[in-house]
Amino acid sequence: MSNKAVVYINQFFGQIGGEEAADHEPEVRDGVAGAAQAIAPNFDGEIVKTVICGDNYMSSNQDKAVAKILGELEDVDFDIFFAGPAFQAGRYGNACGAIGKAVKEEFNVPVVSSMNVENPGVDMFKKHIYIFPGGHSAAKMRDDAKKMAEFGNKLLNEEGPFLAEEEGFYKRGIRHQYFLPDETPAADRAIDMLLKKINGEEYQSELPIPEQDLVEIAPAIQDLSSTKIALVTSGGIVPVENPDKIQSASATRWGKYNIAGQDKLENRASNKYKTIHAGYDPAAADADPNRVVPLDALRKYQEEGRIGEIHDYFYSTVGTGTTEGEAARMGAEIAGELLEANVQAVILTST
Amino acid sequence: MKGVFILKLEIGNFHVEDIRFGDSTEFNDGILTINKDEALQVVKEDRHITDADIKIVKPGDQVRLVPVKEAIEPRYRMDEGPLFPGVTGNLQQVGDGMTVALKGTSVLVVGKHWGGFQDGLIDMAGEGAKYTYFSQLKNIVLVADTDEEFEKREQQKKNKALRWAGMRLAEYIGRSVSNQDPDEIEEFELDPITKRDTDISELPGVVLVMQPQTQMEEDGYNALNYGWNANHMLPTLMHPNEVLDGAMISGSFMPCSSKWSTYDFQNFNLIKRLYEEHGETVNFLGVIMSNLNVALEQKERSAQFVANIASNLGAEAAIVAEEGYGNPDADYIACLVALEDAGIKTVGVSNEATGRDGESQPLVSLDPKADALVSTGNVSELIKLPPMETVIGELEALARDGLSGGWEDDEELGSSVKEDGSIVMENNSMFCGDGVAGWSTKTMKEF
Repeated sequence: MSNKAVVYINQFFGQIGGEEAADHEPEVRDGVAGAAQAIAPNFDGEIVKTVICGDNYMSSNQDKAVAKILGELEDVDFDIFFAGPAFQAGRYGNACGAIGKAVKEEFNVPVVSSMNVENPGVDMFKKHIYIFPGGHSAAKMRDDAKKMAEFGNKLLNEEGPFLAEEEGFYKRGIRHQYFLPDETPAADRAIDMLLKKINGEEYQSELPIPEQDLVEIAPAIQDLSSTKIALVTSGGIVPVENPDKIQSASATRWGKYNIAGQDKLENRASNKYKTIHAGYDPAAADADPNRVVPLDALRKYQEEGRIGEIHDYFYSTVGTGTTEGEAARMGAEIAGELLEANVQAVILTST
Repeated sequence: MKGVFILKLEIGNFHVEDIRFGDSTEFNDGILTINKDEALQVVKEDRHITDADIKIVKPGDQVRLVPVKEAIEPRYRMDEGPLFPGVTGNLQQVGDGMTVALKGTSVLVVGKHWGGFQDGLIDMAGEGAKYTYFSQLKNIVLVADTDEEFEKREQQKKNKALRWAGMRLAEYIGRSVSNQDPDEIEEFELDPITKRDTDISELPGVVLVMQPQTQMEEDGYNALNYGWNANHMLPTLMHPNEVLDGAMISGSFMPCSSKWSTYDFQNFNLIKRLYEEHGETVNFLGVIMSNLNVALEQKERSAQFVANIASNLGAEAAIVAEEGYGNPDADYIACLVALEDAGIKTVGVSNEATGRDGESQPLVSLDPKADALVSTGNVSELIKLPPMETVIGELEALARDGLSGGWEDDEELGSSVKEDGSIVMENNSMFCGDGVAGWSTKTMKEF
């Protein structure tokens, strides 16, 4: 059975027009149209549809455009989605990325594109779809389209894994373990790297330190006496029965627990709160959960009028082995609730 | 060098080609025979062992072992001293004299029922075998239960009775070759640092910095250095021979793929490789035994001590190896940075935690000065394995007992253990799977 592809191109490469046609609404044509022809000769299969959409239309009506295209592709049987090549054209790159990401999420097919390194679409979408480095302009059409088509063939016909360094697509920040075909043990790799480093020769770190996504520290609160404060922890304090079944490591769940009217958290021996965190010695936290979620101290501050109010719930998850991605998602979910409850400050305790 | 005491370690290797049970425990022509009853008596010298059996598993056997708690190479000290001074017997200096070893084999300690965060899994055959070094060995498996009721349902287990039984068993089996000539003798000897020949001392000086897992405040969980809880020590200079010869034993705390078993310490690949390079490309100055800590100041203090010892030794370069991930990444990176700041060219060896999707930050703490890192695996890589004919231990432990790479329930994946005996787990629970001691043939790549 031959592989089936859908290709996305903009109004210019769809031969509808230049800038004057950039508001062209998306349309889905049967077979190969316009610059999709550049993909066809190297693709081992059939291009069943070509989607054409104006760059302006996509950027100013993205939700609508994406919804329309997804709707029209719903009944189309296809195995792979190509978008572009988009060269250095920023709006086109963004369009290829946006529709590519949506198609991948909706239909679970691989998506391949090509963009020049200067195209802002690269950084926005390289994580979501495969993007190959491309030329500045359409002069590189044939080369760029060929790379896309050939990698598409690989994705559909070979087992993988597909490594960025071997295939040539932009690194996506997606790191997985990989068994070295030549089975060089870590000790040999370490010695080799060490000798090169000593001798001033070039070597490649197996973990290049990525750019850091740091959150700026918020300005200090001037007057706590009227501030509503919430307690949030990654220290795994939960009611003893762990009602939300939060995992003890590599957590993907969080819970919120009502502390309204409580002076402090009662401990494990009283059958109330304990820690399920598997990354530290639980003895102290089980004996006094307030040492992780300092409700007792905060109530005293409240009595003394030093702080305004304590939010009726504390939030908890487990930090050990929990990935940055999951932590960011849980953090965003919890922050959403806190904002809705007009919480103005958070004491976030880690362990 | 007269008048200078120099450690000279000889490890007499006996290559084990097969292991069987028989009437007496002996080694003949590559065949290790074990008298099971006698071996079990040694195991049961501790009254806390309530139930014990010994099994033999070999590469290619359709066997899954879980929960695996420890691995120890069977050895015997020819001066009749304890295999692990300060742990299984009186304190004495190790790393000197002759120790005999049964190569290609290990004593594996498996819980008959109960597992924990720190315990792991080994498949001896099939797809799963590639995930751990120990599937390549002929293993003498002690599968046992204890009366340590206090921790039966605890996620963190000290596993004391089982681990100590494993050490006794390893020594009992090692004794079987004490009256024979080894197949080969490995020699480990370094002249004192200040007394080395010029052609060696002019080579770049290198130290190996080891960071064994010591983050539990309570006794019983941490790696031990001559029996001393390594949480309670400051980084110190050790002779590499001491590590190879039983000064260090594994703890019982870290997610299992990160673990350094006692076998790993006995055979620490990075030490052996540095010995090979010694006098050729480098001047191997020794091991700085550090630790992993909880409080920031403790982490910084250890890093400072390491950098200072290395500087005073005149080290030009260093390798730092970390047992663990997550919080101790802070100790690891702090140590790498402190060494680099002292002008010492440093390479790090550790695993990463990039998540099941591979998209998370690889280490908790990062610094651009850590510019030469060897990566040995992703702790949270998802692994699915088919059922195995035989399970030694209790498969349900993977899901039930809070193993670091197992779970009872997951929205998408359900339980780690399926009704047909197939499993889905994170690499986290592969027994010593990330081979930071130097075994790992895994790296990390961008996908």
